[in-house]
Amino acid sequence: MTLRQILAVAVVDLPLLITVAVAVAPVRWVTKLSITGAVATGVIGLTLTWVAVKDAAHPIAGTWLVIDAGGALLLGVISAVGLASIVMSGPFLSGVRHSFVGEEHRVRFYYVVLFLFWALLLAVPLAGNLAAAWLLIEATTAASALLVGFNGRRHALEAGWKYLILTSLGLGVALLGVAILTAGVRGSGVDGLAWRRLASFGSGSATALSAYLLLIVGLAAKIGWAPVHNWLPDAHSEAPPPVSALLSAALLPAVLLVAWRCERALAPIVGIHTTQRILIGFGLLSLAVAVPFLWRPMPLKRLLAYSSLEHLGVIAIGVGFGTPLALAGVAVHIAGHAVAKSLGFFTATPLIAHEPRAAQHFVTGIGRTAPVLGSTMGLSLGALSGLPPSPLFVSEVLILAGGFESGRSWAAAVAAVLLALGFLGLAHTTIETVIGEEHHRHRNALPGMGRVTALGGLSLVLLLGLTALGPWLPSSAFVSALARGLP
Amino acid sequence: MTGPLAWLLVFLALAIVFVRRRSIAVGLVTAQALVLAGIAFNQAGTGSEVIASVALVTRAVALGALFLLVVARSREAQPVRARVGPAVRAGMAVALILALTGLVPHLGLTSRADERAVLALLAAGLICTATRRATLFQVLGIVLVENGLALAALEFPRTSPLVIELGVTLDLTLIAFVATLFHLRIYAEFGAGDSGVLRSLRDT
Repeated sequence: MTLRQILAVAVVDLPLLITVAVAVAPVRWVTKLSITGAVATGVIGLTLTWVAVKDAAHPIAGTWLVIDAGGALLLGVISAVGLASIVMSGPFLSGVRHSFVGEEHRVRFYYVVLFLFWALLLAVPLAGNLAAAWLLIEATTAASALLVGFNGRRHALEAGWKYLILTSLGLGVALLGVAILTAGVRGSGVDGLAWRRLASFGSGSATALSAYLLLIVGLAAKIGWAPVHNWLPDAHSEAPPPVSALLSAALLPAVLLVAWRCERALAPIVGIHTTQRILIGFGLLSLAVAVPFLWRPMPLKRLLAYSSLEHLGVIAIGVGFGTPLALAGVAVHIAGHAVAKSLGFFTATPLIAHEPRAAQHFVTGIGRTAPVLGSTMGLSLGALSGLPPSPLFVSEVLILAGGFESGRSWAAAVAAVLLALGFLGLAHTTIETVIGEEHHRHRNALPGMGRVTALGGLSLVLLLGLTALGPWLPSSAFVSALARGLP
Repeated sequence: MTGPLAWLLVFLALAIVFVRRRSIAVGLVTAQALVLAGIAFNQAGTGSEVIASVALVTRAVALGALFLLVVARSREAQPVRARVGPAVRAGMAVALILALTGLVPHLGLTSRADERAVLALLAAGLICTATRRATLFQVLGIVLVENGLALAALEFPRTSPLVIELGVTLDLTLIAFVATLFHLRIYAEFGAGDSGVLRSLRDT
């Protein structure tokens, strides 16, 4: 086994082991064990990301395991966001008074399910075949639905129920696509469904198009693309903030990577223009649906959820354009979105302690009553709006340039208009949230504020680093590897 | 698969869409799953196909028992009213079945009749989930869709790998299990397993 293969096995197995350890350890050890396990998993994941990015020109493409440029990018995002989510879970749990399970099992249940969810999520970008990817995505639904409904209150149950039912139906539709491909590919057993073998599908282009549509429509329900996004704002707004971060910044792009792999694998049979147009269509529709909501005053987490709809739409458009410029934009966008979005969700824990109305209402002037918290929220929302020097500004410019370069000027122009409208809406919300009208608030100690401040500083460095990296990326070996896909 | 068996599966699917009582629907969906398992046993020619058939039987029995337990633990004074009446539901399901069989091209199954049966089960599952307010019926709608997918897996000219079939069976059973946990919590919180009360999170 190579170093990359050893690290890949370790990064999935370790959180599974921690899941078992947390399930049986004495309660007083659970939090410390979780933090230690998360640090170890995060370090392994980020090491594998580093090694895989350095060696992006030579991907591993087996039947069960794939380590390529796209997978490395997502693995890095999932590792980092997962680690931060577990670090931020302590302050969140300290304020929980009500949950899906009894008080005596609350902390253990939370960490067991969270580690299981993280382990499954880490395996998604490494899955070497379509069936394994589908199984992992479906399994993440079961684990994450329990986390969405964790607080056990009415809104959380509603959100968890919608998430479970809608994404399960969507994945059922995708499974029919998997079944059609299983029947038509050459090669025996699971090997026939390996990403590199899907292009051997021999039942005709019309059947391949049916399978591709079923897959993309089904996965869209899990990615949260419009018009099958109804669960997304509810689930992201009702889940515990660290779980919302993992859902938005890691799960959605990880499932999008699977849709991307399907597009790459089936394009030779269905036709690359058709497969790309379908992704661009989903992207533009998601942007169009999200933008009006970015103009409306709403609770922070709900606003961040609609921002996810917008950004996953942008990524779909970039993947659909498919040029090196656009793919460089996609890479920066996935990473920048993950940093800014997870930071935004992490601020929700101290925010709700500072201003309890924030759980259900739009609140203003946070920077006036809690300057550090307000600044951190401003950093997150400003970056997500695409305000320069946000890396999301750079990535959006790269994606739009890629659209014009690919000859899809109309789609790039429509996307540019929608992005401009989205920017104005979210920028307005950012200003109001941070320095808008001040309300009387108690200036008591805020749970998790120290960790949020540290993550805010780290995020600022990462965001500026991504901004600096963006213009150099299109000509890099990494983007060449992204464009080539799997051998 | 023979024509009468395909019709039996479709009839059971439409009956699940039509009936009011949860326990009857659980019985029908379990019967449908057992018919599928019987077809799998009948077609099994290798050791791995026999194992996959056993997994289908286990899933059918386990889910049936789980759902009946859930019905017993969440007794309701009267059935939760569906969004539309039974005749309209059945009509919608038939209309969707006809639309899908007319619009969806060849899927690669051994016969077009098998493909129509698969599409009918998917359509009935979707209508059951979309038109029912009772949370348990929504879960049964998902199980109906899963039964349709199991039928598709059985009727493709080539069998799926065993590990995938077992993985899918395990995954879908896990989803049904988590859904029943939610059903029980919703019942405890709202006093009824009624998704109609889950409508407070909206952006008007």
